[in-house]
Amino acid sequence: MTRNLLITAALLASLTASAQERYATRTGHISFHSDTPMEKIEAHNHKATSVFDATTGAIEMAVLMKGFEFEKALMQEHFNENYVESDKFPKATFKGKITGITAEDLKKPGSHAVTVEGDLTMHGVTKPVKATGTMGMEPTGAIRATSTFSIKPEDYNIAIPGMVRDNIAKEIAIKVEVDHTKM
Amino acid sequence: MPMKRIVILIALLAVIGGGWYAWREYNRTAGPTSELEAAEAIEAAALLQAYTADENAANARFNGKVLLVSGTVREVKAPENGLVDVVLETGDPLAGVVCQFAQADVPSALTAGAPARIKGISTGLLMDVVLQRCAIVE
Repeated sequence: MTRNLLITAALLASLTASAQERYATRTGHISFHSDTPMEKIEAHNHKATSVFDATTGAIEMAVLMKGFEFEKALMQEHFNENYVESDKFPKATFKGKITGITAEDLKKPGSHAVTVEGDLTMHGVTKPVKATGTMGMEPTGAIRATSTFSIKPEDYNIAIPGMVRDNIAKEIAIKVEVDHTKM
Repeated sequence: MPMKRIVILIALLAVIGGGWYAWREYNRTAGPTSELEAAEAIEAAALLQAYTADENAANARFNGKVLLVSGTVREVKAPENGLVDVVLETGDPLAGVVCQFAQADVPSALTAGAPARIKGISTGLLMDVVLQRCAIVE
């Protein structure tokens, strides 16, 4: 009986310790940018979710495609209906690992260069992605992660009609800015 | 006026009209949600329940549509990037209906515990159901 109690207590202690190293947000900011001589396009989504486990470096993010807001309504309609088909594929997700930082690094303010590597799923297609970024504790206590990387629409089976081919960059820059708090 | 001139005039007017329409359509911005007709009125708890019970069916029913959601305010979050999240109570402590407002559109009287009727465009379910471009309905 005593042994069982001890095991239960040890398990609870280890679960608590592990849980204390997890950080999350529901208000991550993801934006994408396409810059060509013909047209500049950008869209922002401030509702990305992210869960980061500092003990393992594992990170999982998700974003709703209909949540990307454009300055022009027509662009937003084309993005949802013709390009990412958000009715069929409502979410994009990323599952991966951040290296170059430890749980200890996140206990004091500072920013660290990190590498993030994992699988990005969008428009029903999963592709490996590797990018550099920064991660660290802000003076507010938030754990801020940032990264910028590029993707090619055709890698995700997103077809750009020939008529607007010159208006859309061949590589779209994705910017991620996420402030996690302890779970 | 000879027929040829009339045809040219009509063609010219069609080109100008078409150009004007294309220019206006290209520069069109999303109008205020308060002026849009709601596709459906629903309680916050029922909306979350619909998404968690069958997400695909709820996506088809609600995503991209203007909803009029009623409920009790659980929390009004601090402004971030000019946006304010108002969370409606759903009975589930881990998930709410999050209504994203432009900071200027949130009435100061809107506080936790207050009843609210909010129009917003549903974008789907992550940890919460997320509504964007929200507006208070008096």
